[in-house]
Formats: sequence, C-alpha cells, structure tokens
Amino acid sequence: MSEPAAPNVAYPEITGTLRERTAAAVADTELGGNLSRASASFHAGRQRMKDEQGFDGMRDRASAIRRSNIAKLPELIARLEENARAAGTTVVRASDGAEACRYIGELAAARGAKVIAKSKSMATEEIKLNEHLQDQGLKVIETDLGEWILQLAGQHPSHIIAPAVHLNKSQVRELFEAESGRPLPLDREALVAHARLRLREQFAAADIGISGVNMAVAETGTICVVENEGNGRLVTGLPRIHVAVMGIERVVENWEEAAHLLQVLPMAAIGDDAATYVNLITGPRREGEGDGPEELHLVILDGGRSVLRGTEFEEALACIRCGACLYACPMWRSVGGQAYGSPYSGPIGAVITPLLEGFNGKTSNELPFMSSLCGGCHEACPVGIPLHDLLVKARAVINAKPEQGATERRMFHLWATAWRNPVLYRLSVRAARLGMRVLGPRGWAKRAPGPGRHWTDERDLMTQWPPRP
Amino acid sequence: MATTPVGDVDTFIAALGRRRASGEACPAREVANAAVTQIRAWGSSRALVAADPWLDELGVPAAITEAGIEVIRWPSDRTVRDLIGLDGPADTCGVTVPVLGVAQRGTVLLAPGPGHGRTIDVLSRFHLPIIPSGRIRPTLEAALIETFRSGGPTPSAVSLVSGPSRSSDIEKITTYGAHGALAEHAIVVTSTE
Repeated sequence: MSEPAAPNVAYPEITGTLRERTAAAVADTELGGNLSRASASFHAGRQRMKDEQGFDGMRDRASAIRRSNIAKLPELIARLEENARAAGTTVVRASDGAEACRYIGELAAARGAKVIAKSKSMATEEIKLNEHLQDQGLKVIETDLGEWILQLAGQHPSHIIAPAVHLNKSQVRELFEAESGRPLPLDREALVAHARLRLREQFAAADIGISGVNMAVAETGTICVVENEGNGRLVTGLPRIHVAVMGIERVVENWEEAAHLLQVLPMAAIGDDAATYVNLITGPRREGEGDGPEELHLVILDGGRSVLRGTEFEEALACIRCGACLYACPMWRSVGGQAYGSPYSGPIGAVITPLLEGFNGKTSNELPFMSSLCGGCHEACPVGIPLHDLLVKARAVINAKPEQGATERRMFHLWATAWRNPVLYRLSVRAARLGMRVLGPRGWAKRAPGPGRHWTDERDLMTQWPPRP
Repeated sequence: MATTPVGDVDTFIAALGRRRASGEACPAREVANAAVTQIRAWGSSRALVAADPWLDELGVPAAITEAGIEVIRWPSDRTVRDLIGLDGPADTCGVTVPVLGVAQRGTVLLAPGPGHGRTIDVLSRFHLPIIPSGRIRPTLEAALIETFRSGGPTPSAVSLVSGPSRSSDIEKITTYGAHGALAEHAIVVTSTE
C-alpha cells in the first residue's frame, strides 16, 4: 500500500470577510443538513444524560472545581511541573505559540524525526504547529478520524469535539478516494475501516507522537488524554517520543477533581457518561516495560491566557473544551465552524479567539458580534461560564478601541443624550412615527438605502413606535 | 484503615452492555474455556496475551494454544507492524488483566508493567479483559484514588477503557473499531482473590 501523501499546506488562510463566509455558509444547503443532523444527535444524547445521570446536579461542582483551579493557577502549575519532572517528564513552559513550535521543531530535528503522528489537539491548532513542522520538511499526519478528514480537505476544525461535523459521508468518501487513489463504497463502516488501515501505517512509522491534554493533575504530574477512537493511545504509546501540548489553564488540583471532570466532560461533549479511552500518563516508560515512549515532553502553553486572570474575562479560562456551547448556539448551527475562521468556533471561540489575540486581530475582533446573545451557551456550559455576558464585554472592549465603531459610538451617544431630555425624547418619538410612514412594513419603502440595507434585509422593522410591550 | 468498597459484578456487566461491550461472570475453573469460546466467536487467529502469572494459573494461554490459536506473550519481540496487523493478522485478540474495574460505567483500568503493555488492547482487533471480581470498584473516583494514592509509585500510564473503540466523526453516527478494538468482552472471575 502506498503511503498517504502529506498535504503541502495543512490549513488554508482565512479568505473573504466574515459576512461573505457566513453568507456562503447559510446558502450551503448541504452544510445546513449536516449541521442539523449533528445538532439533533447531540441534543438527544444530552437529554439522556440529564434524565439518567443527573447531569444538571454535577454542573455546580464542576463549576466550583474549575474556578478554584483558575484561582490557584500559578501554585497548581508549579506542583504539576514538580511532580511531572519527578516522574521523568521534560516540562517546558512556552509563553506563546512561536516558542512552543520552536521547541517542538528543534526537538524533532535533534532526534532526527521524519514522521509525526498527531492525536486531536486544539492547542496545536491554535499555534499552527502542523504548518510549522511541515515547513521544516516533516511529515505530519493527523490520526483522529475527523482531523484526518480535515487535513485531507485542507480545512479548519468545525467543532472542538467533532471537527468534521460539517461534512457528510459522500464528501468524506471523495477525500479518501483522492488520497488513496482507489474507489471506495459509500458506506460509513467501510470508510472507517479504510481510515483504520491507512492510519495504522502512520502509527507504526511515527518517530514522534503529539497529543493535546484534556486536563493535567497537579497532585501526581499526570496528563489526561480523553478520546473515543484509540488513536490517542497509539500516538502516546508507540512512538519513541511523546510530546503533549497543554494550555496552562488545563490543570486540576487532585484526583477527586479529575474524577468528577472526567465524568462531566463526555456527558457535556458527546452525551455519554464515559469516553471510551482515558489515557492517564505519568512520565515515559519505566524500566522493564515493553512499550511506551522513551521520552515525554510536556509543553505548557501560556499564549495569552495568564493575563486574563483577575480580569472580567477570567471565567473563560474555566472552559473544559467540550463544545456543548456550539450545538446550543443558533448562530453556529446556522453557519458551522468554518465560517468563524478560527480553530475555536461557536460562543467559546467568539470569546477566546479575540482574547488570546489581545483584541488585536481584525478578523477575530469580528467574532464576538456573531451571537444573538440568547444565552443558550450559558445554559449548555457544564462549568457555567456566562458566555453571553463575556460576549457583551468583549464587544464593549472592541467598540471602545479608537479605530473601531466610531460612527456607532457617536450615534449611541447622541441617542442617550436626546433621551435624557424629555422634550428631545418626545420629538424623537414623533420623528420615529413619521419615519415609519417612509420606511417600514407599512411605509413607502421596505428596505433602508445604503449601509442600512443589510440591516433591513434580515430584520422586520416594527409597525408602531414605541413598540408594544 | 477502611476496607476498599467492592463494586457489584452484575452492575459492572450491565454497564458493559450499555457501552456496547459484553461481559460474563465465571468461576476460576471455567475461565480458560470461556476465553477460548469468546476468541473463537470473534474468529481471531492470534491472541496477544499479557504475561500475568495469574492467567497461567487459570490455564488461559494453554487453552488458547490448545484451541489452535497462536499465542504471543507480552512483551513480544515482534515488530510494531506485525502486532498492529499490517504485517501480521489483523484479527488479533488482546487478552489483558485490568488492575481495577468500575461497576458504575463498565470501565476497566489497564496499567503497564513487565508483563503488561500500554497498547495491547488498541493494537488488537478484539479485547478480552479478564478481571478478578475483587478488583471491581463502585465508582470512578474510588478507582482513581486507589490507583494514584496507594502509597506506591504512580504507574507510568493508566488507561481507562470503556467499551470498544468508536467514532462519530462521519455524520455523527457511531461506528465501531475506529483505531482500537472493534469489540470487547470482559470475563469477571468470581472465585479467586
């Protein structure tokens, strides 16, 4: 069997504006069908957990655990480092993605690595590790089925847990056929079996396995890699070197906390009370053991996280990356994750993407506005992050920037000034009533001209002013 | 010191069923036959068996060999390509001895040691854990606390396995055998330890 060809570029750069990307996504009926099916499946599982496992009752403790973790973050990270080193793990702190990529790239070069097998990791998506290693001439293969599909498609993940949820089996078959050069049946089980065989070649050939970390337990210096497919264990257990990349906020204090979160995570993420595989790794292989890596490197990535402690955005650090808020979001359900142009999509992506970029990304600063603020994300979150509040706060920060929203800011300022004055308030109401004779469902014009057109295209104007309560 | 609470075997087996795995309780003298019956039902031509002396006491490796099924003991000098099913049979059954089980959710905990690998079950097409009933704990928390606070050295790796390998990455429909075992059957040994 020929070896899968590594794509030249792992993921494409974002193209088009946010409006163009969302408009294209909404118009894509195939995407809409794929997202509807995925959301229905998720909600059925979630309801089962609520009814059978008392999931709602577990959320309060999960929320308290994560807030305690974040409050003690420096202390817990120090304990994690100390205990991981005592177990033989090489621990590296990276202040940003570039530093993390540089370390892993240099390690690969120093060990003469050629093939790297990866299990799913959002942190490595965030730092664009694949691109960095491929630029170095390394062959990097994603082994999570969904991530491999995306690597073949040259796309970003659409969902934190279900990265290829926006594609259907017919689209997957096309990608697999293009990669292998042979026809395949349009059968889900056959496609999974095909991927199993192709990727076994990579597990056997890999010099380095790279994984993410769902949580790390400070008490023993243990990292937890949660998965359902088994690729996580093969990636962390077969190659001679294992590199694990974790965001600094993923630490928990002890095994009581870890046990609780390890139950809450699959309930929230996949509507099941257990993930199939939870790999708890405390160091490289020991003397006398027949497998396991000879070296384990734990890269602890800050990447703009530490500065959020003590700010109004601190609660975003409590996220356990379950992806439940995505399915709860009417915006994400309409356009999917690709339109966000960020590895993190949905409400949590709209919050943390600009935060991690320090509100300095033009594209990421658009994301907090991709929300109806319905609060469904807050209700879905297993650790109770008030995502809708954080979105509003993020909008405020972005709009307060001198280069952002100056016109909008002036308009609201004028409006507020007018309505503080009773005479001006009454005048404005009369003006609005007159205005509705011109523009509105009962007016001469149904659509606003110029820049207001987009607004009236997608909204019904009121038929009377002030609106009925 | 408080006695470790023991989980209920029936609860454990019922939980395995919910995970699309299966299980049976067996007295020690019947374990070897039960193992062979299951491996035959899967049609495996090879078994990758943990080198746990307890399995030899139960007569498991000998019975599998006698049934005409090749037995490889862990650790093996075979190549990874052979064990993973590229250069060897792709229908291997991994036979493991979990350090603990969790009744609440049908989970087994595997830990490496001189006779037990990190990857036996995921290298294989089928997974046959054989566990003494005394090792089953009621909850995940109880099992993890016992594993990581025993006072001894922390194991280099502990794998929680809850049923067969699965993926919902294509159309959110669960498909089994993505990378790890396609099927799992646990034998709980009731009259030992």
